[in-house]
Amino acid sequence: MTRLSPGGRAPSFRGAESYLYEVAWLGVPALAKHRLPKSYRHPALDERLRRARTVAEARSMLLAAELGVPVPAVLYADPDEAVLVVERVEGVLLSDMIEAEGASRRVLEVVERLGYYVGLMHEGDLVHGDLTTSNVVVRNGRPYLIDFGLSERTRDELDKAVDVHLFLRSLESTHPEHVAELYEAFLAGYARARGREAAERVRRLVERIRVMGRYVEEARRVSTVWGHRG
Amino acid sequence: MVSAATRSSYASLAGDPRRLYPGLDWDRDVVVLGIESTAHTFGVGVASTRPPYILANARSVYQPERGGIHPREAASHHARVAAEVIEQALAEAGVSMRDVDAVAVALGPGLGPALRVGATVARGLAAYYRKPLVPVNHALGHVEIGRLATSVGDPVVLYVSGGNTLVAAFARGRYRVFGETLDIALGNLLDTFAREVGIAPPYVVGGLHAVDRCAEEGRELLDLPYTVKGQDVSFSGLLTAALRAVRSGARLADVCLTLREIAYSAVVEVTERCLAHTRKREVVLVGGVAASPVLRRMVEEMAGYHEARAGWPPPPLAGDNGAMIAWVGLLNYLSGITVPVAESRVRQRWRLDDTPVPWRAGA
Repeated sequence: MTRLSPGGRAPSFRGAESYLYEVAWLGVPALAKHRLPKSYRHPALDERLRRARTVAEARSMLLAAELGVPVPAVLYADPDEAVLVVERVEGVLLSDMIEAEGASRRVLEVVERLGYYVGLMHEGDLVHGDLTTSNVVVRNGRPYLIDFGLSERTRDELDKAVDVHLFLRSLESTHPEHVAELYEAFLAGYARARGREAAERVRRLVERIRVMGRYVEEARRVSTVWGHRG
Repeated sequence: MVSAATRSSYASLAGDPRRLYPGLDWDRDVVVLGIESTAHTFGVGVASTRPPYILANARSVYQPERGGIHPREAASHHARVAAEVIEQALAEAGVSMRDVDAVAVALGPGLGPALRVGATVARGLAAYYRKPLVPVNHALGHVEIGRLATSVGDPVVLYVSGGNTLVAAFARGRYRVFGETLDIALGNLLDTFAREVGIAPPYVVGGLHAVDRCAEEGRELLDLPYTVKGQDVSFSGLLTAALRAVRSGARLADVCLTLREIAYSAVVEVTERCLAHTRKREVVLVGGVAASPVLRRMVEEMAGYHEARAGWPPPPLAGDNGAMIAWVGLLNYLSGITVPVAESRVRQRWRLDDTPVPWRAGA
């Protein structure tokens, strides 16, 4: 990583898993993502995970691009160093845009397009794995999906529904007042890519996810045992 | 067998309730008896608003002769030892039922038949002695006794036991579950593997789990599945692959090493994500698996990296115990939370994030 950050300069962003550095890559504004070694992990496991995730992320981004989804261009991948260099998309985060504009016509158009692109990805059996409004950069009205670190290849419709559910959950937690409108716009775009039937199936699966496992409280809210709610 | 921890075990209770729970009235003189019976352990604790706060922590643990926990056998064990453990807790605390202000009970989450024994006993005590009955969420018990034991104000909590594996942090009025297991719990993974390959029971000897002990002889890390999906972990694939590896002739110690490294790394990774996401500065490790020195070291190392402090309760307060139920019972009682006996149903799947935390409401 020292090669990419001469003078040992501080990263522009510190995540749990990696540091991001703003760099110029052959003249192109770029982001270098370095997956950090974790001393708490067994060295062999650490190397295996960092290598596999770097490769998987590069592959997923290339596949997404092939499927017609706007993603930053992959410029360089070095599995040995666990470094991935991608194009730096200058734009505004979708989360900030919703924060500023609410469910404006412009926002609804962007979210509909996002739904369309996620639909394209799912048709190609690729799920993003961390689909939140903070992982979408909007440039000239075009939503770019970023951070494919948790993405996966899968044919399972339930995995795809989990993706959509993550998006819905991020709307609920950060933009609660516009959930319904934004979710409908997303699903409209999603149906445009996958057809009405597939979209309806995923919508039903999302509802099922909410009443099973960790979301069981939603199914049981009616049967509360005592009156006190903090 | 009934065993009670001596009071000296709690000398390490570091927290000051007046600082940790500033909204509650610590000038009141309140004593609460708490009953735990969600799984293996029938535990009875006594908590007080006066130092040393935890006055008793008696327990009897059901140990299956072979195989895993059988809910009805656990229940019949609990029913058999209940009276004796209650008497022991009262004796240890030096109080009688007349001195007790309220009876608290863990109503969930847990195994139905086991839960019902604790609930029945608690209802009986409450009705007979005319004491208020206080409902307690078992997971919240782990969290709050962890805070009291380590004097931690606002931690990311890693809760790992035989039946639960989750990472939680306080936000908007509740302990929100940031990530959890999608299938089996971490303790269940370790126990089942150890049992299937014949290195347990006993599962824990000298504070070390059979898998941890066996892993000490491990040299090589094998290629077994590591599954972290978003913020959740999954262990069932790892268990199957580990058992298959043993059957096909891999060195047992290597499999143990791999299993433990992968499983612990996965929960620590999710904890790390939660820490980075919430920007909290403290981590508390609770639940039966918190006794693992290997896991503690990993959590500590990860926390240090984020300049966060890591802590865990002493062993009698880390695994399932009555003291933590008494403690949250006390907090609930001071917050005005009680339940009429007639409405005190057990909730096998009662979620941590569905549990009010009024003493932190303003946090």
